[in-house]
Amino acid sequence: MVNIIPFFVIIPLGTAFLISLLGKYVRHFAGIAISLSSAVVLALSISCAVYLSSTADKILVYKIGGWVPPFGISLVLDGLSIFMLVMVSLVSFFVAVYSLSYMERYTDKPKFFTLFSLMVCGMNGIIITGDLFNLFVFLEIASIASYALVAFGTEAEELEASFKYAIMGSVASCFIFIGIAFLYGFTSTLNMADIARVLSVKHSSYVLPFVGTLFLMGFGLKAALVPFHAWLADAHPSAPASISAMLSGILIKTLGVYALIRVFFSIIGSTQAYLSVLMFLGTASLLVAVILALSQWDLKRLLAYHSISQIGYVVLGIGLGTPLGILGGLFHLFNHSIFKSLLFLNSGAIDYCLGTRDLKETSGLAKIMPVTAKTNLIASMSIAGIPPFNGFFSKLIIIFACIQSGHLGYGLCAVIGSILTLASFMKVQKYAFLGRLKDKFKNIKEVPAAMRLSMLALAFICVFGGIMLLMPFRVFLDDAVQAVLRGTHYSSVVFEAVGK
Amino acid sequence: MINIFYPWFKLDALSGFIALAIVGFLALILIYSFKFIKGKPKTFQYYVYIILTALAAIGTVFANNLILLLVCWGFLGLTLYLLIIMGNDDASSAAKKTFIIVGGTDALMLFGIGIIYYMTGTFQMDQIKISLSTNYYLLPTLAYLCLAIACFAKAGAMPFHSWIPDCAKSAPIPVVAFLLASLDKLLGIYLLTRISLDIFTMSQAMNIFLMITGAFTIIAGVMMALVQHNMKRLLGYHAVSQVGYMILGIGSGNPIGIAGGIFHMLNNTIYKSCLFLTAGNVEYRTKTSELDKLGGLGKSMPLTYISSLIASLSISGVPPFNGFVSKWMIYQGLISLLGTGNQGLRIIAIFSLAAAMFGSGLTLASFMKLIHAVFLGRKANWQVKEVPWQMWLPCLILAITCVIFGVLAYQIPLKYFIFPVIKGVSFIGTWSALLSTWLIIIGIVLGLLIFKLRWLRPVLRQDNPFTGSETRDIQENKINGTDFYNTIKELPVLALVYKKAQAGLFDIYEQGKNLVFSIGRVLQYLHNGVLPTYLVWTLLGMIGLFWVLLK
Repeated sequence: MVNIIPFFVIIPLGTAFLISLLGKYVRHFAGIAISLSSAVVLALSISCAVYLSSTADKILVYKIGGWVPPFGISLVLDGLSIFMLVMVSLVSFFVAVYSLSYMERYTDKPKFFTLFSLMVCGMNGIIITGDLFNLFVFLEIASIASYALVAFGTEAEELEASFKYAIMGSVASCFIFIGIAFLYGFTSTLNMADIARVLSVKHSSYVLPFVGTLFLMGFGLKAALVPFHAWLADAHPSAPASISAMLSGILIKTLGVYALIRVFFSIIGSTQAYLSVLMFLGTASLLVAVILALSQWDLKRLLAYHSISQIGYVVLGIGLGTPLGILGGLFHLFNHSIFKSLLFLNSGAIDYCLGTRDLKETSGLAKIMPVTAKTNLIASMSIAGIPPFNGFFSKLIIIFACIQSGHLGYGLCAVIGSILTLASFMKVQKYAFLGRLKDKFKNIKEVPAAMRLSMLALAFICVFGGIMLLMPFRVFLDDAVQAVLRGTHYSSVVFEAVGK
Repeated sequence: MINIFYPWFKLDALSGFIALAIVGFLALILIYSFKFIKGKPKTFQYYVYIILTALAAIGTVFANNLILLLVCWGFLGLTLYLLIIMGNDDASSAAKKTFIIVGGTDALMLFGIGIIYYMTGTFQMDQIKISLSTNYYLLPTLAYLCLAIACFAKAGAMPFHSWIPDCAKSAPIPVVAFLLASLDKLLGIYLLTRISLDIFTMSQAMNIFLMITGAFTIIAGVMMALVQHNMKRLLGYHAVSQVGYMILGIGSGNPIGIAGGIFHMLNNTIYKSCLFLTAGNVEYRTKTSELDKLGGLGKSMPLTYISSLIASLSISGVPPFNGFVSKWMIYQGLISLLGTGNQGLRIIAIFSLAAAMFGSGLTLASFMKLIHAVFLGRKANWQVKEVPWQMWLPCLILAITCVIFGVLAYQIPLKYFIFPVIKGVSFIGTWSALLSTWLIIIGIVLGLLIFKLRWLRPVLRQDNPFTGSETRDIQENKINGTDFYNTIKELPVLALVYKKAQAGLFDIYEQGKNLVFSIGRVLQYLHNGVLPTYLVWTLLGMIGLFWVLLK
């Protein structure tokens, strides 16, 4: 089973290569290749998840070229990685299916799918790598693919947004790179497990906090935490809807939150100071962004602000550092990836049919676009935390975790954020789907089958997502939480697995 | 039987009778809907939502686990929203407001449950007992308030009431009658009773808080109802006002008051859904619910008229109908507080008693207006028939229940439903319902005789008035009831209050909206889309992080 691990990078990379090579000449090649490859990656990740949960130590390490770490690059699959991997492949599969129809509006589908596949390759790489510099490389692959994808429409608005995004993203990469350099200088190694091992014996009162701050800022920028968030509201709405779904749904989580968890929990070790900062930034994000979202009229911009706000919940939960808090944070991460991509796909469907996503223009769409309206209602209820949808349970756990660890104030902020989220999605429902249908939209038909299918499938997961907390599926979440809570024991666990 | 699901669900006297009431209302509403909803789009969805609502409601009352309760309770908010948007195209604003208030308070409830779990370590409701009057009262009080706010919003007490009148106006009538008038009241007051009696041990401060909320709700609700011009909005404000009585009863903290509060909840659901359904009948035939346009329907819709009249008398607390009995029990609860030693409590009790009685009078006044404007008054040119039997039958059944629960109060509802829940109720006054009913009937019969028998009354003559050298039709001069109480709108202090109320000053939703948007404007100003600004923020953020972490 260990030998499967590199395929999570190889398959998307190979697909990107093949599509750019053949896509132009063979009709439908791009579509078939992308759906096939994302389906295969999804199947592989799920089978890996099943296999991993049956093993005793819940970790798989692949040594590239047979070189033992710290000398060679290793790929590590533990509870947290597989959790992220399943999430990424799930969302990217449905988005790929959706894009088959949606991207008809744009020219040059093969280029799109090449970039798409590269982005997936970058994200998968970040998740499974066990090497800090390797993580940076994959992070850049995913980022650069996403800069290009944001600019895919090549209109003034898209290009401007992409430019801003690229600048901010480069600033982030820069800080992360400096952080890695300092860490390398201090520990003389780049393997994550080895860094953790060295740091446990070698102490410094300056280097670590300094590096920690650089990472916090770099990954905070990637994750769009307040006050590093401003680029997101420009970049995410400008991309094609399916890419917005990928960016908001999984990219900011893999590049930002996952990397943050990996670096702070597994490598540097989470001190109370970092956790407090994370909690504070999380709470600030969830409040500030939701208030901004409330006054937006552009549907996708509204959703983009909600991404910031929901990432705030995730970071708040993880920042609590308690098992319950991390469980809530990770579960919310998963749920958010599902419902936020669904919401962006819905906005894409509206844009596809109406050619506008201004909430002042639309109304009464429930009458002509029943599938979009229903799935959007489900996703809105999920994000607003209405029972029995999945978002409710993760918010509940986060708020309970806040109270349990004595952070009543943060808990109350999370509650207020939840109320405001509900308010803002009520606005979406009212202006987009309810009310009177305008005459000029009378003849519009519901979106094509591929788009409907993806939206329905994601909505299905939203409705039944709460099941993840019940027993056979619970293992999946618990393993991820265990992997986070293991903290800097990560290194000993990895070396033990290598030794086998 | 249900105890095989223990500890998830639990059946006791309180949840039992409320579940029974829910099922009863479900049956009546389904009968009513057969005709009302026929021919409208999405009929199937409508029935699915209604039945889901009833199931979730039953789940809520039987739940013995706080999380389960929260899930069912929250789900009800969603079905309520879905049912409201089945109304006309304009229902979306009301639906939005409703769901923001109801769903928002559910989030607070979640917070409260979190605190309870933190304090007790269990979600099982029958094992939780938290005292509010110990020295360490801050956290329990916060938890109680969070739960109480959710109850207030569901039942529609001030200041979380503002969705009810809007919703009453634009949602389909069976939905209003089923959810706003009966289910939400039952559930809101059920949970308030549950937390006040079982989960928490009340402190005096909390009782006073409940009493003040109740008294304020009664008066403010009824004052707003007095000046309404729309039948459904008027009823909506009464739905708010009546909740005040229930909260007042529970807040009184003694068995008779609490029993009165719960009984009033049951009675209110009966007559209030009857009133909404009769309003639906009127609207079904006349296609309007504006009081200005209605009038003189009593002759053509007799069964609707009678049901509505009985329900109006019940809600106004006229003996021998059921509303009187429960109000009278609540008064007794307040009066028995007057004997306690605490000065503050006594003053509050007197104040609330006055508010309750005054409110009752105003309720009667406003229903005189309603009855007059819809069924009596000037003769409009309505060529209408009585509604089909599916629609008048539920009204009539509810009206008859009002009478039975009033006349046979001790024999049926109190004995089977209320006294098993509240032990040790002792009356301080006596009320022999049967005897007084006979006396009232005799009185009315005598009055009728005098009025009807030709030789006992002075000769009355109605004639067309002759003014300005022309004869006017007598019908023209008959006034419509709408403007009965316009003068109170012009009283110096009240005028200001009404004006502010119309502007939404007392609407927590409007105020919250203003607050959030004003913060939003500041934030939007900062998000000007200029790249250097964003970079400056990043820099500032970095400085902040360095300052915090490297200190």
